[in-house]
Amino acid sequence: MYNKILSACTFSLLLILPAVTSCRKEKSYVYGVKDVTVSQEGSLKPNVKTTTEFISIAYADIFGTSISNADLVKLSTAYSSFGDRKLIEDMVIRNFLNRTTPPPQVPAKASMTADVGKFVSDTYKKFYNRSPNEYEKWFVTNLIKSDTSVTPELVYYSFLTSNEYRYY
Amino acid sequence: MKRRTFIRSTGLAAAGSFIAPYILPSGRLFAASGARKANHVVFCLYAGGVRNFESTQKSEGNLMPNILNGTENINPGILGGIQPLPASPLPMPLQNYGTLFREFRYAGGPTGHFNGHTAAITGVYTDTDLNLREHPEHPTVFEYYRKHNTPSPAALNAWWISDTLGPYPALNYSRYPGYGSMYGANFIAPTNLIGVDGYSVLGTPKIFSSSQKASSSGLRGFLDANFSGQYNPEEAGVVNPLAVSESIQAYLSGLFSKAMSGQYADPWGAGAAMNNDMFNVFFAEEIIREYKPELLVVNMQGVDICHSNFTAYCNNLRKADYAVAHLWNMIQSTPGMMNDTILIVAPEHGRNLQSNTLVDTFGRYAIDHTAPASGGDQNARNIFCLVAGPPSVVKQNQVINAVAGESIEIVPAIADILGFEGDISSGLLKPFSSCDLQQAFI
Repeated sequence: MYNKILSACTFSLLLILPAVTSCRKEKSYVYGVKDVTVSQEGSLKPNVKTTTEFISIAYADIFGTSISNADLVKLSTAYSSFGDRKLIEDMVIRNFLNRTTPPPQVPAKASMTADVGKFVSDTYKKFYNRSPNEYEKWFVTNLIKSDTSVTPELVYYSFLTSNEYRYY
Repeated sequence: MKRRTFIRSTGLAAAGSFIAPYILPSGRLFAASGARKANHVVFCLYAGGVRNFESTQKSEGNLMPNILNGTENINPGILGGIQPLPASPLPMPLQNYGTLFREFRYAGGPTGHFNGHTAAITGVYTDTDLNLREHPEHPTVFEYYRKHNTPSPAALNAWWISDTLGPYPALNYSRYPGYGSMYGANFIAPTNLIGVDGYSVLGTPKIFSSSQKASSSGLRGFLDANFSGQYNPEEAGVVNPLAVSESIQAYLSGLFSKAMSGQYADPWGAGAAMNNDMFNVFFAEEIIREYKPELLVVNMQGVDICHSNFTAYCNNLRKADYAVAHLWNMIQSTPGMMNDTILIVAPEHGRNLQSNTLVDTFGRYAIDHTAPASGGDQNARNIFCLVAGPPSVVKQNQVINAVAGESIEIVPAIADILGFEGDISSGLLKPFSSCDLQQAFI
């Protein structure tokens, strides 16, 4: 009797198992891409830009286009010809800002004053590749609002000649 | 207060008041104690590789008539390759104003240009391979000068003026612990910087008003303060204070303007003979005129054309000779520098005894500089050295004919002249007391 019951159970199991483990229709997954802004905290920039990197990145940041090879060679030579790098960087940036062809891509003052907070955030992202923290945003916004001599060009100049801009 | 505590406190205060006046702003306990022989030193590296045969031994005639006594005619065989130069600016050859070491030596290390420059500027031979991408291993003369004087002189007082780029900008300071960029010299390669290309990228900077400068300075100060944990001042190279930096920028802009208006086309009236060496010394003179530095090193390397053209080497040897005389004349015409400057002139190394196989249009074989570590052709180690200066300090019209002195004595000599040799830790440099260069001084 026991053997009959065992045989029946085994037979039933053999019938059920294929039904459970056999091929099933594959599920269809849809993968999406979520936009993420990659930024870098100021405290996580251990690398100094090389001469070539500094010049070509500054050029692209100011003019919105790549520097020509001829300009890069001239600037690299001039940059290497003086020992005080900050002094030469200052001259390089001020010459960039004074060019007319191509013209520097600097927002108008009216655009800056229309939304100073947005201008500050955009400037941090443009030059430092990160968002400002709340204190930074408050300080720079307050400085711009309280000092009428501050122009977008002057803010750009200050960022481009700051120590953090020299690093990535 | 307990009596014992009172006595201890009083004792400490007394000791402190006794010691405090001797703690100097630089953090050192004592100021440089040596007396200065002069307040300015100009070291001219007559570099590129000069053989004594063509210089002090005059085998092709006197190719250095502005420096060396003698009226030996130039070998007629190469005369066609020698360009005319203006008359000497000096009433008599420079050797009369000092001591000439005819058999000086570059006694150690590879006979390469950068090795030779490094040994001359650090006072240490480079016995191992150099990393051309790094600053020298040992402190430079600029760092010794700025670190061991009290108060520490500004970088505006120390200049390294190079005829070319490549690894040479790195010679303005070392990576030696305790020294580095904070004691480095202002470096400039004027013939690379001051010209049409330099002007096109640096010559027309945006000018901000003083109020805008103040606003920008405030904003940048905030930005830098928030990045102070990451920032390494060493990576900015030599740093001049803001006001000095602005004055240098204005000075450079002035140089650009003069260059673009043609004022530097032929500043010495030498016409087509004006070469890169002469221009480099000319700009050194401009720096001297503007800043009257206490320590300036300038080099020339035009003679290195000898690798392929012996006659052009002789031609450039004459141009370098003229440039040195012009430099000395300018120093002696500059208030604040005249009669208070020691000029040291020496090649970084010599050239081989044996020529290579290249022949110039005058039928002369070219010469390299490849002295092996020992044995073989050691001629590339034979050079000369001239020390010129005020008669009260430097022995005049003295010639040392014996083998005496070596390249690594120049830094100790400069340290002695400027009065800080005794303040340098022992073992870093050859003691000046054992240097043959002592013979040049009263």
